[in-house]
Amino acid sequence: MLALIYFIILGILAVGSALCVLLSRHPLYGALSLVLSMLSLAGIYGLLGSPFIGVVQVMVYAGAIMMLLTFVIMVLNGARDSKTPMFDGVSLFVIPGVIVLAALVGFVLVRTPMAFDETTLRGSVALTSRTLFDVAQTGPGYFVLFEILGLLLLSSMAAAVLLAKKRLGSVDSDDKEEK
Amino acid sequence: MALEAIYVQVLALILFSIGLIVAIARRNVFFVLMGVEIALNAVNLSFVGFAKTLPADLSVAGQIVPLFSIAIAAAEACVGLAMVILIFRNRESVDADTYSNMKG
Repeated sequence: MLALIYFIILGILAVGSALCVLLSRHPLYGALSLVLSMLSLAGIYGLLGSPFIGVVQVMVYAGAIMMLLTFVIMVLNGARDSKTPMFDGVSLFVIPGVIVLAALVGFVLVRTPMAFDETTLRGSVALTSRTLFDVAQTGPGYFVLFEILGLLLLSSMAAAVLLAKKRLGSVDSDDKEEK
Repeated sequence: MALEAIYVQVLALILFSIGLIVAIARRNVFFVLMGVEIALNAVNLSFVGFAKTLPADLSVAGQIVPLFSIAIAAAEACVGLAMVILIFRNRESVDADTYSNMKG
């Protein structure tokens, strides 16, 4: 019962702040409501019994990604371009399409019998680390994915730095600087 | 009344739909990126919700995969925002419709 109440509160927070993202004009307000959505989702992860994913959600999403996003919005000063309309004619077709898709999937979901299993394992730090770093030959082998993910993050960081840096000494970047 | 597995899936479905609408219908490119993040979050929630319906050892995979998906989302946001900075410098606009250089 108590779990249901917490779930309803957190779910309303998550959906409401996602709607704020949909309807807000300034990207900064959108980013801040997105932080609230991520935080309430982290609470739902904890409620479901995966506290480690909840903590990672807070650290990576609400911490790192949203910090990056708000930082870029502030640096670029996205509000300068306030003449861009929020929606255009395509939205008239997109929104009913997505709602019909959601209704179809929701129909299938509601018809599917499912229930929480009593013997399900709690996604604690101990379980996660034991599974993730199980280097036995018969193990699940998640550690290989983990190593590849390290390479992916490193290369994406290098790509981002190379893409976003000013071309030093080029005439073009100097012109932009003076504006 | 108790928390049922279906409620989690319905919440994930609602969030995914909102994320999809934000990503496709909004014109500001920052909102497109935010919509992708919302949709990824909804998929993670769905993973965890389904994992909790499985018995003991089977429920581990559904709680590991979201970690990888969160890390992929971090890499995606990093490269995506770098590209937004790059294009914004050329176009001076955040309207996704002006980024039509690669059209055709």
